Order: sequence, then structure tokens, then C-alpha cells
Amino acid sequence: MRPLPDIPLPRPIQICNLAFPCRCATHIPILKTPPKGRGATENAAETMKLLVIEDDATTGAYIARGLREEGQAVDLVDNGRDGLVQATAGAYDVLIVDRMLPEIDGMTLVKTLRGAGNRTPVLFLTSLGSVDDRIAGLNAGGDDYLVKPFAFGELSARVAALARRPQALEQDTKLTAGDLTMDLVTRQVMRAGRKIDLLPREFALLEHLLRRKGRVQTRTMLLESVWDISFDPKTNVVETHISRLRAKIDKPFPTELIQTMRGAGYRIEG
Amino acid sequence: MSRGILSLARSMPVRLACSLVALFAVVSLASLAASYAVSWNSLDATMREDLRQDMAGFRAAPSALALAALVNAEGKVTDPNRMLLSYFAPNGQHFGNAALTRDENGYHLTQPSGEGISGQYLALTDDLYGGELTIARSRTEIDDLWLVFRRIVLVSLLPTILVALSGGLWLARRSAAQVEVMENTLERLTSGNLAARVDPAPGWSEDMLQIGRRIDRMAAAQQLTVETLRQVSSDVAHDLKTPIQRVAVRLDDLTRHHGLAPEARALIDDARADLDDVVSVFHALLQIAQVESGTPKSRFAAVDLGTLAETMAELYEPAAADTGHTLTVTATPGAAVWGGRDLLGQVLANLIENALRHTPEGTAIAVTVTAEADTVRLTVADTGPGIPAAERTAVLQRLYRLDRSRHTPGSGLGLSLVSVVAGLHEAEVTLDDNAPGLVVRLTFRRCRNGAGPSSAPEIPVAAN
Repeated sequence: MRPLPDIPLPRPIQICNLAFPCRCATHIPILKTPPKGRGATENAAETMKLLVIEDDATTGAYIARGLREEGQAVDLVDNGRDGLVQATAGAYDVLIVDRMLPEIDGMTLVKTLRGAGNRTPVLFLTSLGSVDDRIAGLNAGGDDYLVKPFAFGELSARVAALARRPQALEQDTKLTAGDLTMDLVTRQVMRAGRKIDLLPREFALLEHLLRRKGRVQTRTMLLESVWDISFDPKTNVVETHISRLRAKIDKPFPTELIQTMRGAGYRIEG
Repeated sequence: MSRGILSLARSMPVRLACSLVALFAVVSLASLAASYAVSWNSLDATMREDLRQDMAGFRAAPSALALAALVNAEGKVTDPNRMLLSYFAPNGQHFGNAALTRDENGYHLTQPSGEGISGQYLALTDDLYGGELTIARSRTEIDDLWLVFRRIVLVSLLPTILVALSGGLWLARRSAAQVEVMENTLERLTSGNLAARVDPAPGWSEDMLQIGRRIDRMAAAQQLTVETLRQVSSDVAHDLKTPIQRVAVRLDDLTRHHGLAPEARALIDDARADLDDVVSVFHALLQIAQVESGTPKSRFAAVDLGTLAETMAELYEPAAADTGHTLTVTATPGAAVWGGRDLLGQVLANLIENALRHTPEGTAIAVTVTAEADTVRLTVADTGPGIPAAERTAVLQRLYRLDRSRHTPGSGLGLSLVSVVAGLHEAEVTLDDNAPGLVVRLTFRRCRNGAGPSSAPEIPVAAN
């Protein structure tokens, strides 16, 4: 048995006078020792180690199964207390935390983790989708925010983006994909030796995809980073912009660089 | 203190002080006037009585000779400024310190030398021993009464007015500070900070104290309502979203089954689309409730509406082109408003989507942002079928849909959100005939130098 993790406990938890180990909220028992010899970032490129804290069994199982099918290692817990213990004990790449959890709610859990110096990226799952709610979540120490109901593709893309977030984006002045090159200084785009004229927003969209080569970018992720819009328009605005971009950089050439990931988003293969 | 001396002079305590001073002055002047009249009358009566007494005294002289001697003696010792004596003996000889002369204008009292005497006198003339005796007393004493009363007015009334006015001003400043604390609190409350309180100090005047406490009670009640609303929304959202998420999960699982008939896949897709509609209505209702609670106001900042309109038009332009619409944007630079970028962006998105959805191919949609001296106007105009005049207000209500758009996609919440967001921004929404088509105008207050609509300080001004 390891000593108690040195973490500030959330307010509603009472001081326990019982002998340890008890099952009260103050003495959080360690359920599982962290795996040894496997760093969190070591194998990040191939396998991510993820923790899902979700009280709804159906949703939790769905997320865990989907992520496992993608080849990730997933632990699943269904309450905030166990989630806090797991998150502290295990070295995870990303935590997927529901906002409303029994015993310790998601916000308190993440605040506690951050208070203890744990910087593991957190993706909040929430039922509410307002800007206020989003800001509250991000202020509590969350890194991203996903509103229920979500498509699995969205979750997967956001988890992948979070796991790699600590790595600084390329500082190169040239981005390439296949036979396409983008010069960030002269703002010129060439493909197969031909110059392609892009509108400023098309350039920004392509740059965003090129910088995240090999990673799926969902419609909402593109809206957030390229247009700085955090609400979801009803019209297929992103699709139309992508198709315009495609008409310029893909249509005249034999191979397509921008791939559509069904039900998820877009990707430029690395 | 932000208010000028002019507005201070219009404040209630100063007004009260002024009216009290005016009332006091009128009453004092009236009573002084009455005293003056009474004193004047009494002095006048006394003087007349004195004259009669004097006359009686001279009448007591036994003969004309004795009278002449008496008048002569008296006249020598009497100050002509106080009293004049004149006796014309039967032989025409004159005695006394003054003479009664007669010309075409009537009788005059002159000096014995014939020179005139200035000043007012009250005179009594009587025939005595064949001669004519005239006694006149100076009225200076009575005239001086006017000066005395004028001095009384100056000495008593002026200080009263000064004291009352400065007291009123002092009170006004004091209560102005208290009023300002309350105003600032109300300002912060209306700008979404429901934790703002007046917190009246015990030194406040009783009426202000009561109003302050009332405001605090009202704010607490409002805060509780909003808290409850938030709690209920979040509970409802959680209890509803969990099953919705499950349905989405199960639909997703269903599609994984192999050998599914194409019709079955189509049904699953339809069910997903229906679920998306449920979610979007739910989100829109939650968002409207949240906007109506006023909380987003606490995050307001200066937003350039022109730039935002350009971004949104740019975002929608390809989609508009796909459906055969032409979407144009015209924006005046510097059209900043105090608001929430996300909410205003959504207003623009809803108006553009509305126009795209409810107008036929080939319709022109124009987004315009213009800035006047104090206002910023956002206009979204189309050349589509428009909205009948009778229904233009109704479409701003929740879930209202025109008969002809019942079968087009949409929740009937887009314009309601526009309306509540406009309300939160204190902007005016008008729907008009674009002849043909619909023109939606939102008139905002212009925000200058990146400051809010009021420069009310965040920290309450200390007052006691």
C-alpha cells in the first residue's frame, strides 16, 4: 500500500477518524498501482494511455470500446473519487472527465488534480453547452470541452489533439505534404511545380491542416481555430470551405491530399 | 464625484432647503411688514397725541403776550430738526424757530429767515388769542423705522438663508454619495454581476438605508432565482442528455452491424438527424434561458461588429453560393459595440442562415454594419418573400413558425435568440419590408474607446 497521495481534498469531504484503510472519502484508497517502466509520453505516437471517468455505463463503455479499437489503452471508472485516485496514481496521456459525477464532481476533481500539480490534459464531457459552462470548465483546469451528445469521431480527434498539445507546433517556414509545399513567409502554395492562389482564409485552413498532418480535424475544431467561432452553425459552412480549397489544391491533380474521415472530419495524410 | 454642481443643485435635499428658505423668507418678511405697519401706526398716533398735548400746554398760557414769550423761549432751546414752533401774534409779529408761510401752493414751514426746511414734519395749527400757533414735530423718527426694519431683515434673514442653503448642499452631497452607491450597485446588477450589493453603512439616513436594504434583498432574490434556474437547467440537461447520448451510442452500434439493408441505414441516418434536431432545440432553449438571466453580460467587452460581420459573411459565402444566393457584406470601420462576441456572432449566423433557408435561389442577401455618432446599426436584408407585417413581431417569439416554413428545417428559435441577445445588449430589433423581402435591423449603442456603456466603477464608492 502506497502512502496517501498529497492532494488537497475538495471541501465537502469530512475528516475521518477511522483507522486507515477505510472506505470513506477522506482516506482515498489506492485501487491500482501505476504501471512501471512506461512513461506517459514515451509511446504517445503509437499508443495513448487514457482514463475515462464517466458515470453513465452505456456512454462510458462506448467511449472505452471506441478508443480501444483505435489501439489506445483505456481505463474506465464510474465515479469521481475513484477517478481522482486513478488519475493521481496512473500516468495518463489524457483524462476524459464527465462534468457531473457521483461523489466528487468533474470540476472539483480537475481543480484538485491541478492544485496537486498534475498537468495531465483533460477533456471535459458536459451536458450543458453554453459559453459560460465552457469557460467555467476551462477555468477549472480543463483543456478542452465536448458537449453531449457527441459523435465518437469528435471525441477521438480532440483526444488526439490534446495528447499532442504539449509538443510545440512546428516553427518551420515551410510546410509540406506530398508534392504540396506552403511557404509561410512568402505565403505561396505550390503543388507539383504549379503555383496555387488561395484566399487568406483558404490559406489559414490549409495551414491548420498541414500543421496537424496525419491528425483528424473536426468541423468544430476547424471553426474554433480558423474562424474563432465556438458555436455550431446549422449550415455546412466548413464543408463548403473545404470543397473550395479542394477545388484548388486537389481537383487539378491525380491524388487527393485532404481526406474526409466519415463522421469525424478532415485530415491531410502525413 | 462624477455629478456636477448643477445636478447637485437639482437634488432633493437642495430643493427642500430652497423651498424651506423661500417659505421662511416669505413668512419672515410678512411678519416684519406687519410689525412695521403696527409700529408705524403707533408712532404716528403717539406723535399726533404729543402735538395735541403740546398745543394744550401752550393754550394754558394766560395771554397772547405770555404765549409769545413762551414760544420764543421754547423756540430758542428746541432743535428745529426735532420740533418747529411758530406763533404769529395778532399784531403780525412772529415768534419761534420756524415760520408758517403761504404761497400759491399752500402753507409751508420755513426758517424764520425764510429759507426752506427739509424733512417731513407733522404739523398742528390753532388760533390762539387772535394769533396763529403752529407746532410741527419731525417725522424722522418714523422714517428711521424703515431703516431699522431693513437692518433687521439683513441681520436675521440673510444668515438663515445662507445656513439653510449650505446645510441643504451638505445634505445633498451626503445623500448624493449614498444614491451613487445605490446607482453603481444597480448598474453592476443590470450588467450581470448578481453578487453586487449596496451594503448600506449604519451612518446612512434611515430612508436611504431602507432603500439600500430593499435593493440588496431584491438582488439576493434575483441571484437565488438565477442560481436555481442554472441548477435546474443543468439537472434537466444532465438527465436529458444522458439518455440522448445513449440513443446516439446505440444508433452508432447499430450501424456497426454487417449486412444491414440500405433502407435500415437510411432509417438510422434519419433517426440521427432527428436526434440532432432535438439536441439543437434543447440547446437553443437553454441558451435563450441563459441569455435572459443576464449572466453573459459579466463577460462583455468591446466587439467590432463590422469585422465580426465580415468574418461571418466570409464563413457563409461558399454555402450561400452553393444554394444560388449572393451574400455581400458592407461594414464601416470602427463600428464597435459593448457585447459578447460569441452571442453577436450567433446573431449574425442566425440571421444569415434564416435568409439562406427561407428565400429561393437567386436571392441577394446583404449584411451591412454602419456607425453613427452614438449608434451602430446591423442590417441583414434579403430580397426573398419577406414576412407579412402582422407576423413580424410574432416571429421573435419562441418556437413560432410561419405556415409556409413549417416544412423547411429549423427550430423556430433562431429569431428568438436574436431578440433576447439584442435585449441583453440593449439593442433595438426591427423587422421591416425590404420591398420585396425582409430587412432585420439591430440598433446598438456605439461603444467608444473600448469602454462600456457606463463607466461605473467596479468598486463601490465609499459613503457614510
